[in-house]
Amino acid sequence: MHSTDVLAYVQSAAKLLDLPLEAARAASVASQLERTWLLAQQLEAFPLPPEQEMSELFCPAAFPADFPAPQGDGQGAP
Amino acid sequence: MSTPAPTAQALARSIASGERSAREVLQATLLHIEASNPAVNAFTGMTLARAQREADAVDALRRSGALLPALAGVPYAVKNLFDVQGEVTQAGSRVNQQNPPAAADAFLVTQMQRAGAILVGSLNMDEYAYGFTTENTHYGATRNPHDLGRTAGGSSGGSGAAVAAGQVPIALASDTNGSIRVPASFCGVWGLKPTFGRLSRRGSYPFVHSLDHLGPLADSVEGLALAYDALQSPDALDPGCHALRVQPVGACLGLGHQGLRIGRLGGYFDAFATPAAAEVARSAAAALGARDEVQWPHAAQARAAAFITSASEGGRLHLADLKTRLDEFEPLSVDRFVAGALQPAAWYVRAQQFRRVYRDSVNALFAHWDVLIAPATPLSAPLLGTEWLDINGQRLPCRPSIGLLTQPISYAGCPVVTAPLWPGGNGGLPLGVQLIAAPWREDLALRAAQALQDAGVAHLQAVKL
Repeated sequence: MHSTDVLAYVQSAAKLLDLPLEAARAASVASQLERTWLLAQQLEAFPLPPEQEMSELFCPAAFPADFPAPQGDGQGAP
Repeated sequence: MSTPAPTAQALARSIASGERSAREVLQATLLHIEASNPAVNAFTGMTLARAQREADAVDALRRSGALLPALAGVPYAVKNLFDVQGEVTQAGSRVNQQNPPAAADAFLVTQMQRAGAILVGSLNMDEYAYGFTTENTHYGATRNPHDLGRTAGGSSGGSGAAVAAGQVPIALASDTNGSIRVPASFCGVWGLKPTFGRLSRRGSYPFVHSLDHLGPLADSVEGLALAYDALQSPDALDPGCHALRVQPVGACLGLGHQGLRIGRLGGYFDAFATPAAAEVARSAAAALGARDEVQWPHAAQARAAAFITSASEGGRLHLADLKTRLDEFEPLSVDRFVAGALQPAAWYVRAQQFRRVYRDSVNALFAHWDVLIAPATPLSAPLLGTEWLDINGQRLPCRPSIGLLTQPISYAGCPVVTAPLWPGGNGGLPLGVQLIAAPWREDLALRAAQALQDAGVAHLQAVKL
């Protein structure tokens, strides 16, 4: 990814969204987006099958019936 | 002047017994805030008339002989993204100043009122919660009570500083990527980020719908539990509130940590921990008898996904104002909001697909563990204005990197208690430890927290202002 490509993307996308950006602002936003691009690459490299659906309205786990007692003996994982 | 002030629990007991009236406690609180706030800049607004009404109602109830609710007469304050009837919900912004006053209290403010707590005011934050330092250009930076040249953390910096300075024993805040845990760590107070979906968010100004949590900060584990139990309630009107009933934790605190399977997170969490952060995690692990190092799954990818999700949803939320009122936004975060609004949809969709896999991996880990320990922040509070951090030889931008150790945990929605520890040779600055449990097991994290407090390992320290 080249910085000029990111800047061009920012300018085009901002125009598409009708979001006016001065040149200095566009450059700063492009710098931010370049950092995010690096993070996005980590997710691109993560294997996900094509059938993998998006997270629904996120729920970390089903709400429990009650507080079950801890399963351990205090000695850590087996 | 110095703190600590009486704890939330001690205040509640003294008012219930008639030793002090709610009015007396309120007057002392207001005097302390008036004297200390110029130094820390935690408060952005006061609710004096309301506080007096609420205190008088508590005193009248006590005189009637009725049983007082759990937090009767205990002062508290809220991050200024909570709706307070009759007040404008600023959310740290200048743009929102022109909004009409809130017509009703936020759901959690109503819960606190039912518990008898006294609302004294609203607290500073990063604009629209997008930051970790509460360097707010519109309302001024909140300063760390333990070193006024340093950040209080963010985005709930006012909440952390107010509790650390002894202004209030309890403060409410939000945590999207670490905004309760970071100020708790930097200010040396207790914080609870509950399970995602545990507490209603109705009547709070959003940042990232799929990540926003609300919760308390407090001066003690008991105060944290009292507030948390008061805040719990199902809320059918908040589609993000998944709790079906209240699960009180107050009675669990005394159960101790015996029998709990406790480990310390290594790998990613070691790589981004400075020596002081590594020290507090090891101290907590030693106190809780945790001998094993545990690997949290996909932490780096989860942090990346949290970053992308936040940018995209946050940018989209404010797009209309970004188009027309760009110059009124916080200079320190406006470029991130714009970048988020322009992010390719492909990145966001990928992050949300990853989240399902990630949730399953994290929940599988908790089949073997009850509580996992990690530093809350890579380092203790940086000086205000710091642009770059050096973390174990890695040069990283300061403001986004403060959340490196909190973001993977909240992306899984796990409950976390942040415990205040005090590493040696650190200039007297605190650094918090995350006590992480499986979704819906706040009770286990709080039991571990109580054990750390009882052992004298985690506690508040008095400040002089």
